[in-house]
Amino acid sequence: EGAAQCDVCFSDKDYENAIKYYSEALEVNPSNAIYYSNRSLAYLRTECYGYALADATKALEIDKNYIKGYYRRATSNMALGKFKAALKDYETVVRVRPNDKDAKMKYQECNKIVKQKAFERAIASDEIKKSVVDSLDIESMTIEDDYEGPKLEDGKVTLRFMKEMMDWFKDQKKLHRKCAYQILVQVKDVLSKLPSLVEITLKETEKITICGDTHGQYYDLLNIFKLNGLPSETNPYLFNGDFVDRGSFSLEVILTLFGFKLLYPDHFYLLRGNHETDNMNQMYGFEGEVKAKYTAQMFQLFSEVFQWLPLAQCINSKVLVMHGGLFSEDGVTLDDLRKIDRNRQPPDSGPMCDLLWSDPQPQNGRSVSKRGVSCQFGPDVTERFLEQNKLDFVVRSHEVKAEGYEVTHSGKCITVFSAPNYCDQMGNKGAYIHLRGSDLKPEFHQFTAVPHPNVKPMAYANTLMQMGMM
Amino acid sequence: MAARQPFTDSDTADEAVRATCDDATICKRFATSKSYWKDPYIQYFVRSVGERKAPEINRGYYARVQGVNHLLDAFIRKAECDCQVINLGAGLDTTFWRLKDENLMPRKFFEVDFPTVVARKIHYIKTKPPLSKPLIETHSTDSLLLDAHSLDSDRYCIIGADLRDISNLDEKLKKFQLNPELPTLLLSECVLVYMTPAQSSNVVHWAAETFHTAMFINYEQLNMSDRFGQVMIENLQRRQCILAGAEACQSLESQKERFLKTGWEHADALDMMTVYSMLPQHDVGRIERLEFLDEKELLQQLLQHYSICWATKDKLNLGNAQLCYTSI
Repeated sequence: EGAAQCDVCFSDKDYENAIKYYSEALEVNPSNAIYYSNRSLAYLRTECYGYALADATKALEIDKNYIKGYYRRATSNMALGKFKAALKDYETVVRVRPNDKDAKMKYQECNKIVKQKAFERAIASDEIKKSVVDSLDIESMTIEDDYEGPKLEDGKVTLRFMKEMMDWFKDQKKLHRKCAYQILVQVKDVLSKLPSLVEITLKETEKITICGDTHGQYYDLLNIFKLNGLPSETNPYLFNGDFVDRGSFSLEVILTLFGFKLLYPDHFYLLRGNHETDNMNQMYGFEGEVKAKYTAQMFQLFSEVFQWLPLAQCINSKVLVMHGGLFSEDGVTLDDLRKIDRNRQPPDSGPMCDLLWSDPQPQNGRSVSKRGVSCQFGPDVTERFLEQNKLDFVVRSHEVKAEGYEVTHSGKCITVFSAPNYCDQMGNKGAYIHLRGSDLKPEFHQFTAVPHPNVKPMAYANTLMQMGMM
Repeated sequence: MAARQPFTDSDTADEAVRATCDDATICKRFATSKSYWKDPYIQYFVRSVGERKAPEINRGYYARVQGVNHLLDAFIRKAECDCQVINLGAGLDTTFWRLKDENLMPRKFFEVDFPTVVARKIHYIKTKPPLSKPLIETHSTDSLLLDAHSLDSDRYCIIGADLRDISNLDEKLKKFQLNPELPTLLLSECVLVYMTPAQSSNVVHWAAETFHTAMFINYEQLNMSDRFGQVMIENLQRRQCILAGAEACQSLESQKERFLKTGWEHADALDMMTVYSMLPQHDVGRIERLEFLDEKELLQQLLQHYSICWATKDKLNLGNAQLCYTSI
């Protein structure tokens, strides 16, 4: 009768009572595996995972062929986060019941989690992994006599070096790997000393030029410098991420930008985009390009350097710049951004992810992003964020725009995109923004694509070739 | 007598076309490995998952597979399985096996492709039990009719033929019990575009003449005359792959026209961006979370350059002209 009563309790979901009744039943009949197993279930439902595990274990001690016992124990272990232990028990069930689809499914689900955890552990340990820098001996790299290209002067980037390098690249020639490594090691050092939120002040008489995505379109970058002047102490620039991938001159773009960062560290700014990450580089061409022109080791170093790029920049405490956009949740402050530990690949969610991935939307509220990550945020989200942080507007990039820029959210969210005729296909204009310290009113300048040597976009990734075959 | 040139221009072009079947299979293999959709059979046609494909490619194939399957399944259900399916240029497609698993098999499923492609497929079928078992299970006698370029069983038949030689195709199909009286679904995915407009016109005309109750589903390129189209054509040319039939791929109108003027009663066409937005959104939401999409605009552009066109004839009044995506 005790048992019958217990079963009624389960269907009534009255787990507390079930525990009581099974405990009483066990006092009378202590070697009943089923009672232990059922009480284990009741404990699971009431989140007493330790007790649940103990009862499941007891059930199996009494009857090692009691399949439900393995299930209960596996579930308890899952709840306690002991996935490997759970997997062992699911394995047992699958072995004993090879045709049981449910058992197989549970095994596979658990297996997926075990693998994922192992993967996460591997990534975590990557952070204390040795840097490529430690295994490089740049000093002993020799530059051959017949190399006619640019070299750093006394190990430093100078204006002369930059001009020579830009011409060298324009003629599609390769920078000596020693120089590339020198630049990378030095810029990694500079970037690592910056905060995740860079804060600058533009004086009344000063102005800054903000550029959006450039995506390996080197010849269009040269055109920006032609139209707007080379970077200098009196002509500061901020490049808002996505310097590489898609366009096939990503190396030329990034080495040029890194070179200027070294030359004018307090007047030339770089922010991280979602393409300054391993995943994107693997798929959209940069990794392939670096491996083709240099080595895998150099790509590793690029990856490390990208991790140190700051995530956002605040100008005169009024204008906030980031590559993607605002946040999946309200209440994020500038102080939160300062505190982000950015030396990593971006997580799947959270402020660091949003900064690199989100997009504005016309309607209020937030929506799930079609990108599969982060969110889309409406004018009300922008309004609240700006108010809370005492800002005037945000400038971001991340999305191609036909006119090269777009003003949305009543002027509070501006998009700027600097890769014209994106992928040789979109036919869009590029744009950049002039921001003066005197009034902080954005002034837009548009430009169109210039010709480039016949290296098709995504030459180093297979995607465009696949596009014809769909 | 002069020996035939080993590799004429048209041989090279045909070879390049045949190679596209591998592209499709490889991309589908990758996408299914990432759980965009389920296909337990494709691994028997290409074992290794291969190099990573960009998310827009995976989403594009998802839209294609779901889009085509939706119409195909709807037609079969409408006819209550009392119908035929002919997959023209089928390549290494696995639809027959899917339909068997889902209890949605037509009376007979025909596949047609170049003899060398068919020979390969037959080899895979013969040597992989998961592929051959369903054929054997659905066959009434102990032996299948099998030669180098064709395999015939009660419910599944694959024929090596050149679609540009339509009378030969007709003869072969009829030899393997094609029944013109049965409602028939014809399917071509990125096939007609590789032949000249005249040749593809022959194909769709033959279909209209042969079947009185039918649907022809055609998935292929669209809007080929803009910049994107030009880039695609150039890329393909570098692989010696000529889009001889690009003319019919100008617009949704031109896609429908090619059917309406060859005897089909009714035609509809949608670009894949529209189809994508009409697929069941809960599953679309699921696949959008599988991989992060770098640039939405490029996916849109990609999808706007492919279309599904479906034409119908309905002597038996099945109502197949009403089949479309809003019925989801």
